[in-house]
Amino acid sequence: MKFFSTILLQTNRNLQKTWPTQFMTLLTVSLSVLIFSFFFLIYTNMIKAGEKLGDDLRLTIYLEEEPVLEMQSQLVRKITNFNPVEEIRFTSRDDAYSRLTTQLGDNVDVLDDLDSSFLPPSIEVYPKKSLSSLAQIKRFSEYLSTLPGAIKVQYGQEWIERFNYFTKLLRIIVLLSGALLILTTTFMVAYTIRLAVVARQAELEILRLLGATNGYIRTPFLIEGFLQGLLGSTLGLLALFFLFRWIDMHFSGPGLLQLVDFAFFSPTIIAIIIAASITLCTGGSFSSLRKFMRI
Amino acid sequence: METPPVKKSIVEIVRATKIYTPDVVALEDISLSITYGEMLFLTGMSGAGKTTLLKLICGMERPDKGLVEVTGKDMNRIKGGETPQLRQQIGMAYQDFKLLPDRTVAQNIAMSMEVSYQNSRTIKKRVIELLQKLRLEHKHDALAGKLSRGEQQRVTIARAVANSPKLILADEPTGNLDYKTTKLVMELFEQCNISGTTILIATHDEGIYNKSESRVLELHSGRLVQPADRTISTPNNMP
Repeated sequence: MKFFSTILLQTNRNLQKTWPTQFMTLLTVSLSVLIFSFFFLIYTNMIKAGEKLGDDLRLTIYLEEEPVLEMQSQLVRKITNFNPVEEIRFTSRDDAYSRLTTQLGDNVDVLDDLDSSFLPPSIEVYPKKSLSSLAQIKRFSEYLSTLPGAIKVQYGQEWIERFNYFTKLLRIIVLLSGALLILTTTFMVAYTIRLAVVARQAELEILRLLGATNGYIRTPFLIEGFLQGLLGSTLGLLALFFLFRWIDMHFSGPGLLQLVDFAFFSPTIIAIIIAASITLCTGGSFSSLRKFMRI
Repeated sequence: METPPVKKSIVEIVRATKIYTPDVVALEDISLSITYGEMLFLTGMSGAGKTTLLKLICGMERPDKGLVEVTGKDMNRIKGGETPQLRQQIGMAYQDFKLLPDRTVAQNIAMSMEVSYQNSRTIKKRVIELLQKLRLEHKHDALAGKLSRGEQQRVTIARAVANSPKLILADEPTGNLDYKTTKLVMELFEQCNISGTTILIATHDEGIYNKSESRVLELHSGRLVQPADRTISTPNNMP
């Protein structure tokens, strides 16, 4: 108890003396956390949207002729042998026509001059969720196009590809902003502590002569690093939360946000970001102490 | 006939030599033994090596040759973790004060107690007590940098004494003080000595050791010599 009260007293004194530098470091840490978590938030939401799209993924194989029952079971065997699927649904020419008439609703008269058998029969394949990557979907689609009687395979290639590239780009931005977060927090905190150590060289020298232990000298600096990490990340996340709320209020309604079902970080992710910031800042402080204090 | 019990040494120096680079011999072949509870004076001209000897004892400097033992610990072989523990047992009043000018008098004195994690109530009480003894109570909240040299000297003495160390080393503690204040400081040292603290005072001031019965050691050009007007006493012929 005496140890903690003495150390806290010492930390309080240090902070009072070096508050302008500490404040600037706090702002830098907050800004880094804000930039990183902003892109991370978009990325996690895109991943979530990707999962949602994956749930609805369906490959449609258009056929020349309606397969007979025996042929149907042969096709099912061939498809499931290549890749496990959730469901395979056969659609006859008549089924396709009736589905189209339902979709057209009041405009059904556009079909008046057309023969009810003008639509091709098809097989709808709902793959398992394990089929997540674009390359896997492409490979499966290529295989399906080689099935006997297959004319064309469709699965919304363009949309999935664009979405996939966007997610990849986001992943790179998240990694870069993560690196920025690590560099800025570690170096800024290390630099601040270094300045504090240099500015207080005389005091530290006297403390050593009076018999201060390494723990007595080091701990206040480590607490400073800890506080920088805790407060910096909390402020950064709070700023992001208010930004999120603002975007949610002003851009909600039909559009991208509605489609993606944008959500803020879960408490676990928030705790992880704060813990990572604390670790980085305390680590920066510790490395600076090792370098410049030689204790 | 019974032999008197041998008193245990708090400081044991055997043939210690200290040379500052390039070739300034500060101390040469010094042997000295200080027993627990002793009070002694170290005299000599400026540059004779008094401060260096005190620095060897408190571990600020290491001897180039010979042995320096404090509380049984060889200062040349002392491990990193043991140094703070030993320094907490030594109170040093520096000739250049080593105060923090932007801290108050009370905070400067409290530092020596804070490093050994004393509770704040004990620290406050002790600081006030020492300031009263040294007639500095009105300077409790004054910044150390705003004090006169005499006042700063008393603050550094108070800090050396505050943590009730086993050994007090005072380097010219009365150099900037008038007669009355010198008396106050010496009374404080004597009180500490009565309560068992070993005290070594390096001084030019003949007035403070001439009337004393304590041992007086004289340094001359880095060597211990016999003072002109009294014999160098050893722990064995102490009264």
